[in-house]
Amino acid sequence: MKLTRLLTLYGIAFFAFIYAPIALVMVYSFNANPVNMMIWDGFTLDWYRLIFGMETGITESSTYIDSTPQLHAAVRTSFVVAFSTTAISTVFGTALALAVARYRFRLAGFYRVLLLVPMIMPDIVLGIALLIFFITIGMNLSVLTIIVGQCTFLISYVFVTVSARLAHMDVSVEEASADLGATPFATFRKVTLPSIAPGVFGGALLAFIISMDDLVITYFIAGTGDTTLPIHIWGMLRRGIKPEINAIATLMLLATIVIAGLGLYLRSRQK
Amino acid sequence: MYRAMIGPGHSACPGSSSESTLMPAPLEITAASKSFRTPEGGTITALDDVSFGLDGAEFVTLLGPSGCGKTTLLRTISGFEALDHGTIRLEGQDVTDWPSHKRPVNTVFQSYALFTHMPVSRNVGYALEIAGADKATIRRRVGEMLELVGLAGLENRRISQLSGGQKQRVALARALAGRPKLLLLDEPLSALDKNLRQKMQHELKSLQRELGIGFIFVTHDQGEALTMSDRIAVLAHGRIQQLGTPQALYRRPANLFTADFLGDSNLIPLVVAEGRGILPDGQSFTLNGAPRAGTLMLRPEDLTRTRRGEAGLTFKGVVAARYYSGKDFQIELDCPGTGRLLAVLRDDGAVPDTGAELTLHSATDALHVIEEVQP
Ligand SMILES: Nc1ncnc2c1ncn2[C@@H]1O[C@H](COP(=O)(O)OP(=O)(O)O)[C@@H](O)[C@H]1O
Ligand SMILES: [Mg+2]
Repeated sequence: MKLTRLLTLYGIAFFAFIYAPIALVMVYSFNANPVNMMIWDGFTLDWYRLIFGMETGITESSTYIDSTPQLHAAVRTSFVVAFSTTAISTVFGTALALAVARYRFRLAGFYRVLLLVPMIMPDIVLGIALLIFFITIGMNLSVLTIIVGQCTFLISYVFVTVSARLAHMDVSVEEASADLGATPFATFRKVTLPSIAPGVFGGALLAFIISMDDLVITYFIAGTGDTTLPIHIWGMLRRGIKPEINAIATLMLLATIVIAGLGLYLRSRQK
Repeated sequence: MYRAMIGPGHSACPGSSSESTLMPAPLEITAASKSFRTPEGGTITALDDVSFGLDGAEFVTLLGPSGCGKTTLLRTISGFEALDHGTIRLEGQDVTDWPSHKRPVNTVFQSYALFTHMPVSRNVGYALEIAGADKATIRRRVGEMLELVGLAGLENRRISQLSGGQKQRVALARALAGRPKLLLLDEPLSALDKNLRQKMQHELKSLQRELGIGFIFVTHDQGEALTMSDRIAVLAHGRIQQLGTPQALYRRPANLFTADFLGDSNLIPLVVAEGRGILPDGQSFTLNGAPRAGTLMLRPEDLTRTRRGEAGLTFKGVVAARYYSGKDFQIELDCPGTGRLLAVLRDDGAVPDTGAELTLHSATDALHVIEEVQP
């Protein structure tokens, strides 16, 4: 009896530890107090209005100077990067997963490990390596280097997700398609792709979210003019913690939940 | 069969050379070999110098124990496995190097391999869809095919909503919709229960007659093979042990493997002397041909309690076991000198029970000698 109560308490404490900070940020984002966000001073949507560039009654001293246009530019860069990397890494990751799963070749196991390494490689190491590589080949840091750099590890995530799906797929279905006259490409389009679609879609989603969120690696390989959202937020924090950051964090959380929820919904409908 | 119809001197097509009047065999495999690498680094010979063919719209069964190469042989015909050596011809055309999507044969897979993301109608119409047929043609053909396999009206079902037997029929309809020259079936009935299985055996057989195309049917079930086939190819260790009609294989097996694999048999070692085969108990009989040694095969149903004719063999012994199977008894008879014999006796109310003495006879024409010595 006593043990169960202890366990219940532990459970509550555990989830509070994880979710309380996030809940606090969300609450603070509606706090009207411009000076000390830890003291509740009434409900406001001003911080949201501020980051959307609308009129607010907030005095300049409690906001980051000249931040909103930069924020919008960073969001735009982040989306450009995320959409590009998602498209590229989904195509390459899926192709690699198919190759490793369907063809027998020497050292297949070795290649499989090579494809997993970027996921466990320390971000700092990958960041430094990419930076030095780009400098060595004389490539100026820009949005392009961010996209190329992020793809090096996002491909791994897509590869893993699609491989998991392929492992459960019956090869004889592809053979049946060929048997009935379909060329390899027709088989891929009509049989293989529909069967692994949930895996491809899941991999793409994962790539998108990780790309939007990546700070460390991107920080190394971003040009000075090309700031992504995480880098921009990092820059804001170094100038002090001001309330609008809460609103940005809350919106990012919301976007992630919407994207992940959409993914789960589409996936459940497929079954 | 086609070849026999157009013999030399019988000119079906006057004016053309006899070569071009020959209707090519639907399938002709010559000296096919295939081996696989095992993960342990060795090699397995799955097909060892196999030559085999269909002479017309036959129902041919590949029969053999698990692992003997039946699936591999089928997969080389459909093009999923490339041969190491040998050639495959379909209607006279060398297709050895053709990819599977170009070969005019279709397969009914053991696991059905249906497209679960498509409804029944698209599964069945897949070959036509791939070939670029128009929607109306596809719909008509799908309807015909579903009618043929007894699933009319199930066009819009999802695959997951079908029973095992229905999936089997969809797989069959899908394979036939594209009008293949040859249908390959890899143990298609093994997942069905006994009643459904028997029903499908009869349906498949009559379907083959109706369609007039060759069927190559794989099974490890000898009863199934005997029931359904025009000819049976018995496979073991990647080699064809014997190819012939069910009766020929059952009555006159060419080797011990076939004798043992098809039905029950008594195999008694023989010593050969002066043109006679001598049994271990001293009885002997005249041999046709001149084997140096061999084994006598006696089917259980060829042992009778009454003697037929003057000659023949006689076995005297004690009933070691008796099993009732409805219309007859299975008897195990312990004979001094010969060993244990298996017999099947009609239940006429006088079949002796365990422990009783019994004398059985076999007529000379039931004796079949296999020129192979039991290890
Ligand atoms: N892809 C493969 N790789 C390695 N060995 C194989 C492969 N396919 C079949 N074999 C081997 O070849 C032999 C024949 O197999 P198979 O044709 O499937 O037999 P069956 O269908 O008669 O049971 C078996 O020993 C099997 O293990
Ligand atoms: Mg098999």
